[in-house]
Amino acid sequence: MNDAYRLTSDAATQQKVVPLQQRVVRLTLYALLTALVLIYSIPAFGVIITSFKSNGEIARHGLWSAPQQIRFDNYREAWYDGNVKTYTINSFKVTVPATIISILFGVLTGYVLSKLPFRGSQALFIFIVAGMFYPPQIVLIPLFRLFNEIKLYDTLYPMIIVHSAFGLSICTLLMRNFFATVPNALREAAIIDGANELQILLKVMLPLSLPALAVLATLQFTWIWNDFLWPLVFTQSDTKRTIMVGIITMRGQYSVAWGVQGAMSVIASLPTLFIFVFFQRYFIRGLTLGSVKG
Amino acid sequence: MRRRLFLSVLTTLVLALGVVAPVAGQGDVKQVTLLHYFSGELGFDALSQIFNNFKASHPDYIVLTNPVGHEEFKTQILIMLAGDEPPDIFSYWAGARVQFVVDAGRLAPIDDLWESAGLDAVLPPAIVSGATIYNGQHYLVPFGYHYAGMFYNKQVFADAGITELPQTWDQFLEVCEKLKAAGVAPIALGSKNRWPAQFWFDYLLLRTAGPEYRADLMAGRASYTDPQVVRVMELWKELVDKGYFYPDANAYDWTDAGDLVAVGEAGMTLMGTWLTGYWDGTVGLVPGEDYDVFPFPVIDEGVPDAVVGPVDGWVLTAKAKHAEAAKELMAFLLTDTESQAIWAKGQGALAPNINVDTAIYSPVMIKALDIVKAADTFAFNYDLATTPPMAEGGLDMFARFMDDPSGYETYLQDTENVAKEVFGK
Amino acid sequence: MGKSLWLWRIGFLAVPLSVYTVVVVAPLLYSFYYSLTDWNGFSPNYNFVGLDNFQRIFRDPLFSNAIENTVIWMIAAIIIPTGGGLFLALMLHEGVRLANLYKSLFYFPISLSLAVIGQVWIWIYQPRWGLLNVVLREVGLGQYARAWLAKADSALPAVIAAWSWQQIGLAMVIFLAGLTAVPTELTEAAQIDGANRRQSLRYVVIPMLRPASIVVIALAVINSLKSFDVVYVMTKGGPFHSSDTLAMFMYNECFQKYYMGYGSASAVVLFLIALVVVAFYFVWQMRAMETIYE
Repeated sequence: MNDAYRLTSDAATQQKVVPLQQRVVRLTLYALLTALVLIYSIPAFGVIITSFKSNGEIARHGLWSAPQQIRFDNYREAWYDGNVKTYTINSFKVTVPATIISILFGVLTGYVLSKLPFRGSQALFIFIVAGMFYPPQIVLIPLFRLFNEIKLYDTLYPMIIVHSAFGLSICTLLMRNFFATVPNALREAAIIDGANELQILLKVMLPLSLPALAVLATLQFTWIWNDFLWPLVFTQSDTKRTIMVGIITMRGQYSVAWGVQGAMSVIASLPTLFIFVFFQRYFIRGLTLGSVKG
Repeated sequence: MRRRLFLSVLTTLVLALGVVAPVAGQGDVKQVTLLHYFSGELGFDALSQIFNNFKASHPDYIVLTNPVGHEEFKTQILIMLAGDEPPDIFSYWAGARVQFVVDAGRLAPIDDLWESAGLDAVLPPAIVSGATIYNGQHYLVPFGYHYAGMFYNKQVFADAGITELPQTWDQFLEVCEKLKAAGVAPIALGSKNRWPAQFWFDYLLLRTAGPEYRADLMAGRASYTDPQVVRVMELWKELVDKGYFYPDANAYDWTDAGDLVAVGEAGMTLMGTWLTGYWDGTVGLVPGEDYDVFPFPVIDEGVPDAVVGPVDGWVLTAKAKHAEAAKELMAFLLTDTESQAIWAKGQGALAPNINVDTAIYSPVMIKALDIVKAADTFAFNYDLATTPPMAEGGLDMFARFMDDPSGYETYLQDTENVAKEVFGK
Repeated sequence: MGKSLWLWRIGFLAVPLSVYTVVVVAPLLYSFYYSLTDWNGFSPNYNFVGLDNFQRIFRDPLFSNAIENTVIWMIAAIIIPTGGGLFLALMLHEGVRLANLYKSLFYFPISLSLAVIGQVWIWIYQPRWGLLNVVLREVGLGQYARAWLAKADSALPAVIAAWSWQQIGLAMVIFLAGLTAVPTELTEAAQIDGANRRQSLRYVVIPMLRPASIVVIALAVINSLKSFDVVYVMTKGGPFHSSDTLAMFMYNECFQKYYMGYGSASAVVLFLIALVVVAFYFVWQMRAMETIYE
């Protein structure tokens, strides 16, 4: 995926003579990283074991004993029973537009706050960021009434709207901070070339802030995808459920569903993981700066 | 007005971005919307079957169900009621919780349905008077109920040389001693989520001070610092001090306690009949062979015999849009014996409808049913017997007690302080 | 010029701010209003009680307990995930082989459903066969084995550990993006000037990470103020409120005890505390940042 980058960096290291000391440092680094990642992965590994064990086996022998056999029953059940396909499609229908809209909002607001500041823009910024401090449970009732009144209850729109609005805080925070690192001289040069603010934003600012956009897209996608509070409250039909609501309702008042929940969770983690892998190329040093220069 | 205008603009914007979402279903005359907490495999499958049966006999009805995990349910139903968009009917726990919603004026009485469907004829009188009537009117149609009893591992009891089940407190202590001598923890309790501990408090109080005093305590007419309550805590403490409870009760869930008994590390656990659903279905025990049940022993002679458990039922909301159709469904859910049987089997519950054939039950459930029938009183467990804010205070006390029983006097005082605030004493 | 600038500002801000006002601010004002009542959530009727709820809050030992726990949480959140994420980002930014695999593994926890992760952590802390106690006994530290989630003194740290584990990946992503903003020329120039790796890190890289660290720390503070989901799944604030956070306290008052008015008052207090803390933090950090980039 990042072959081009890796080639150049490898070439760069080969050109120099690598001193022994540096090689030892590298080796230690690898050993440390590997050990760290192994320990770190244990709980996630636990989720994966759960998904391959029957509930009865966990009940009798605990989670951490060696599985008697690898069984895919939980995956089969997660996929065929319940509406996992519908849930997954719904999750996409909510997550993709909400991610795009919230980032769009953040880009617009962040640009004004960092590059077109005005008296009180500092206060406006804090006002916007303040939205993040509120525990969302407290606004459930007023929001429920709102969506009910405008006849959006039991559709997917409330989640898109709510995530776009609540996402404004974090998106503005991130975009504003990133735009602040872009030298003002670039904007001034563009103005001299006759560009208007929209053109500056699209042609100058956005290409430079690809890493920030990639991070935001990754984070927003993950958060929105993983949220279950809003869809739980704003929908009631099985056809409007998202995958996260599906996972938590697998468990009954007096019954357990560890295995199937685990399997569904692993299935549900794939899109977010894919998004991460897809966007992380933009986190790598040099690529973005290089592309702008070229 | 401006808000609406703005939102329509917003909606258009969302639409313009090419989002596809189907429009909400159109209202049918005979449509019933229903919110319930019977999520999870067992409850969900059984309910789907029941609603299919309903559709078969009522082809012109549409039932829109919405299962929610039972913790999330508490939040959601409050929001839906407060937001003036409640479902037509919802499942709820009989007792103080229904009373709370009735007092708030959010439920509609169903006396007419009671009359026309002849529900008195299909229910045991104790359930009618205890679970369905609030402020003098019928509000709740029972769907299933549970009994909390002492479930024990037969093999473990036999290995410890216990030949007779304890009927009195002294016999019970003897049994515990034998189990302990055999190297097994006599009692498993999983009070991580607090409520499993309540059955101990309930039964100890019911077997000593009696149902009437307990009702007073639940309603705020008696005090948590009364000698009756202190005695309960002392009896309970004796069990803990003697090492009869499996250590670290607060670290385990009720299923963990079930596992401990199932694998033979503990002898018994005081739990509701839903445990049989978990043991039979998930763990794979054979009812009657691997495990059995006995009632909580008698402590003081002459105290009326009481059993403890929750009743799940259906209630009709005051703002139901399809009240008539909803009532039809409510009556069906109780009077259709086949549905009642499906439900009881699916949930490990007891069917409130007396016409349900007992052949559907496992030998253990039949024993539980007999115990309930023989009892003088059916009492709701603590968190359903007292008002929700009080229940929170009491459940806290039980968890603290299981952590360190020596401070019980302080805990009782703290609980009484909560009671003073809740009941405005 | 000034006039057209205002047109751009309004054009950019109008839609995001309107959505924000309707979906976030208006419901928030509703809950301010509820906080002045004795509403129980269910009843259509309630009484106006003025500031009674606020008076009660400051006498409530459960509330001060929740504040204390939240502060502990906040401090831990600033240190552990931030430090861990920075450490990982710096290591993985060195262009190590398989960096993408490592990054994905560190990110994986965030993409898993919390309901399932919480359960796995419960199984790690389980006293009988839980992984932690088993390992402690294996390595001869059996005397430290305990019922982690059942004891009042270890429940909160145990939950925070589980939470931090999930959050590290988040901080790592943001720092990785921040590192892309550090021009390669700068570090190279520093090396040419004779700076060793540690010096260039200390004097070149770390200061350039300020925007990213503002975001990470702000997120840590905010997430700790709102910390709810993981507590809810793992302990529900128990045993006996030893792991209660402010959000958990609010949830209990509103939805378990049905003191909607009182619970709303606690949310208002939480909001005000957060606003003050974060306003100071931002103003201070923004000033510092602007001096770098201006």
